[in-house]
Amino acid sequence: MLGRLHIQPTDDLPGIILDPKNGEFRIWGRVIPEDGNKFFKPILEWVEEYVENPNPETVFYIKLDYYNSSTARMLSKLIMILEHIQEVNKKIKVVWEYSKDDEVMYERGDELKSISYLPFELKPL
Amino acid sequence: MTTGTIFNFFNLLKEDGISFAYRGSFSNSVLAMATELIKNNMDEEHSKLRNKLSFLMIESFQNIARYADNDEENQDPTPTSDFFMVRNVGNIFFVISANLIDNDKVPLVRDRLTKVNTLTKKELNEFYREVLTNKQINQKGGAGLGFIEMVRKTEDKLPFDFVKVNEEKSMFFMQIQLRNPNVENPSEDVSIEDAKFIQKNIASEKILMMHKGSFSQDAVGPVLKMVEDNMHNMKLKMQKKIYHFLVEILQNISKHSFVLDGEREGIFLMGMNGGRFEVGTGNYIASSKVDSLKAQLDLVNSMDNEALNHLYRKYLREGRVTETGSAGLGLIDLARETEDKIKYEFTPVTDEYSFFSLTVKF
Repeated sequence: MLGRLHIQPTDDLPGIILDPKNGEFRIWGRVIPEDGNKFFKPILEWVEEYVENPNPETVFYIKLDYYNSSTARMLSKLIMILEHIQEVNKKIKVVWEYSKDDEVMYERGDELKSISYLPFELKPL
Repeated sequence: MTTGTIFNFFNLLKEDGISFAYRGSFSNSVLAMATELIKNNMDEEHSKLRNKLSFLMIESFQNIARYADNDEENQDPTPTSDFFMVRNVGNIFFVISANLIDNDKVPLVRDRLTKVNTLTKKELNEFYREVLTNKQINQKGGAGLGFIEMVRKTEDKLPFDFVKVNEEKSMFFMQIQLRNPNVENPSEDVSIEDAKFIQKNIASEKILMMHKGSFSQDAVGPVLKMVEDNMHNMKLKMQKKIYHFLVEILQNISKHSFVLDGEREGIFLMGMNGGRFEVGTGNYIASSKVDSLKAQLDLVNSMDNEALNHLYRKYLREGRVTETGSAGLGLIDLARETEDKIKYEFTPVTDEYSFFSLTVKF
């Protein structure tokens, strides 16, 4: 089984836990890297490897306060990679968590949902 | 604020290595961010001045609090709102403050400043001890200790001036000057008249914050935090939109601006006019990039929000490779954050580069 990936959040980068053993998949915080590619490369690589042999059910939680456009593209890449889980007949769901009075994060989640081909839940907190 | 305003300020501060100005209500967070911003932006040759400069900024801030007789509270800034500026010209750092003061206090402040400006170093130390041991403390505290400290720390005079506003109040201007002694070719003094001129322009353009300097990621962070702290009484949605716009535009400058003398220099202005938030940026751009950027700006300006959303989603899904990386996505995003069109101007400077200025209203 793929090892656990854990990154502590900073002022401009998110916290990440990818832990197949305990079934925990989570990204949270504020994401404003100047170069989204650089930060997300190892994370997307990890996920690419994971979707080859995923858990029977994966629930991926995304809870962001804010992200920039260089990250938007990375999030859509992440979702497109996760879509592959369905091809090996396993279950995947993305849960987009947002503060209930945060219209902007709701709209952004809704936008990502509209371009996704997997179960995508918008969950107000 | 127009695109012309941005170019004018950039030219006015052309010789400044870094400059930061703030107008309106002051809080400790503004001070903390301003100090961080200046620290992050100081050239290596001036690094030894860092601590002294931070100290002087704090003194200047507290001085505004100590002497300001400002009745307004949480109102929109007026032409006489408290004003604070730090600028670096050559080997001198200037910490400038301006605030309203009761006319009947003017003679006292004038006397104190005139005194500290005429004392020798030895006399100043004696005076300092005298004030310290003096039990009589004036109403607002201090007894001029702040002024004495500023002169002792800078070993320079404190230029000041009073501009009468009405029968009750005057605007009190003061300029702390900190020199880097280890630099060859010391620069010439900058008169306090210059500070008065800048304050007047910033006030008349209804600007709340201005920053000119290098736009690296380090430099942008404190600016963003300061803006965030200043938007507390706004709706969350508006805050996020403005914040988002700033991240995109500042990162864009940091990535794509023309490198002149090893720096990616730019200017950032934020203002409040008629209840609306205004943001302006300006930076150099390679003349060879002007046509393509202009075409992209015209394109997003010609589209309505629905079309912009559609294009954005298409790019998200399909990705897009341009010579400027993700510029396409960032620009579409900028355009959909604001209801007004993006106003822009390219002013040729040399054959090689132009000045690109942009304003947006929220």
